[in-house]
Amino acid sequence: MRPRVVITGMGVVSALGVGQAAQVKSLMQGASGIGEVRYLPTQHREFPVGEVSLSHDEMLEMLQIHDDQRYSRTSLLGMIALREALAQARLLDREDLAFISGTTVGGMDVTEQHFPEPLPSGMRDVHDCGANTNGIADYFGCFDYTSTVSTACSSAMNALITAKWLIESGERDIVVAGGSEALSLFHLNGFKSLMILDQERCRPFDKMRAGLNLGEGAAYLVLEREETALARQADILGVLSGVGNACDAYHQTASSENGEGGYRAMMKALEDAGIDRSRIDYVNAHGTATPNNDMTESAALRRVFGEKLPSVSSTKSYTGHTTSASGSIEAVFCLLALQNGFLPFQWEFQNPDASCIIPVSGFQCPRAELHHVMCNSFGFGGNDSSIILSRYE
Amino acid sequence: MNRVFVTAVVKNVPLEEYGRYLPPMKARRFGKLQKRALVTALKAMEISGIAQPDAILNGTAMGCMENSVQILESMLKEGEAVSMPTCFMQSTHNTVASLIAIYTQNHGYNTTYAHRGISFACALHDAFMQMRMGRIRTALVCENDEITRYQENNLQLFGKIAPEDKSEAWMLSVDPGEHPLYELLDVRIIHQKGAEDRAVILKNLL
Repeated sequence: MRPRVVITGMGVVSALGVGQAAQVKSLMQGASGIGEVRYLPTQHREFPVGEVSLSHDEMLEMLQIHDDQRYSRTSLLGMIALREALAQARLLDREDLAFISGTTVGGMDVTEQHFPEPLPSGMRDVHDCGANTNGIADYFGCFDYTSTVSTACSSAMNALITAKWLIESGERDIVVAGGSEALSLFHLNGFKSLMILDQERCRPFDKMRAGLNLGEGAAYLVLEREETALARQADILGVLSGVGNACDAYHQTASSENGEGGYRAMMKALEDAGIDRSRIDYVNAHGTATPNNDMTESAALRRVFGEKLPSVSSTKSYTGHTTSASGSIEAVFCLLALQNGFLPFQWEFQNPDASCIIPVSGFQCPRAELHHVMCNSFGFGGNDSSIILSRYE
Repeated sequence: MNRVFVTAVVKNVPLEEYGRYLPPMKARRFGKLQKRALVTALKAMEISGIAQPDAILNGTAMGCMENSVQILESMLKEGEAVSMPTCFMQSTHNTVASLIAIYTQNHGYNTTYAHRGISFACALHDAFMQMRMGRIRTALVCENDEITRYQENNLQLFGKIAPEDKSEAWMLSVDPGEHPLYELLDVRIIHQKGAEDRAVILKNLL
């Protein structure tokens, strides 16, 4: 019998604000955080973004960092989210925790400011993914195991999956996992090159959808063996009951027409959770609002659920696509929906598309008693993953 | 708990052998790192006789630097008028593990670790845990990095991990087969504030 993996803490920062309460408020009001770019020094003001409303200096102040090292935005966002998660789980005084973080651009915002000049001497390097993970971890000093997953936009979700292995295998009692990713010129111009950025607010699953809005943020979940959590009388927020990872094996950036990778990931997650598909109450879709993703993900959802599709929505209409962090940010949204009994809805959804599912929409946030929710996170390279989060009962 | 065996280890595939695993017509589409990673993986599959492992994992300290640096250089020259879709598509760290899956049509578990000097150990640890628990029976675990001329001259900007041009692939199986090389006993990862992370890979020569 596998031990149950429960969640005892979470922390989040996104375009909706800092902390869980800010996310719940916006999600229930249908208030998107996507808007005009403010902090990223880009000329491309035509693209709305899901930017976190904090400057570099404001984040340093929040974290009371006063040394003269360079910190990447990815690291600072990560520290803010991790602090909330560790505080909620009452683990800030520990030194024996494991930390797995997902990121792709890492410290690219710092690199692109200096390139082609080297960093001023005496500064620690902040470019690579692992340096960002360790920078975040060492702000707290709580960790004796760190690792970084980098599977593009599914990085944070795959970090959660690795965390489940660490706990189930008996190697670790508590693992903090998730991801962090900041906006950078590299990323914005890269996505612009692919011509998949919408100049309006993104419209997942809408017939008129014209691409994604880039976002940023971070979120971490404290995952814990059930017995350990009970023994230290931690508050249990939910259960990570199933995980699935599969490869679409079709193209580096396009998804196969029938959504093979997503289909397999969802089926594996259901099998791992040991529950029938009919018991899924809500799916937080990857739903980037690119024509290709939403069509192929809809095909995969229809293959998994048949005629009896559960409620589905994409919260990227609130945060933009937070890329490597999206898997954990949206996992937090799912847990908040489970706890507070509501369905994240797409306020601005207007035009159904026959090739897509119809997301939860309307003018008022639907209340619902949720027991099991599924969260999808897909990435470049067809790195598709899905997890199932359940109420702790 | 299953035992885990290493049934093939491949590194430094000589250029003359590339054609045997990768027809030149197909190779044209791939960059240097991609070609090297792909032939190393394909050779490990051939030696082990496992053409469809249950999982493909890659460890890379720096990811696809050639493509990333090209974008940075173009941004320097052209500013934000830059448009390099192919470079961008192949700049993410998971490009290599995905390419191996796409090339071999493998829909199994697929992931990439980018954790400085111990990226390969992180990937190995993931596969090891899943195999011990019986979640998967076989896994291809790779390590791939490239160092660009630009990086060599600018270690201070990109970090002091100093990766080298490197491709290595291990095939793991819970079934020792006829010629297992090692039994993998444990993978340990140690993080200490202020020090480089360390990994210990415990294996028995068979």
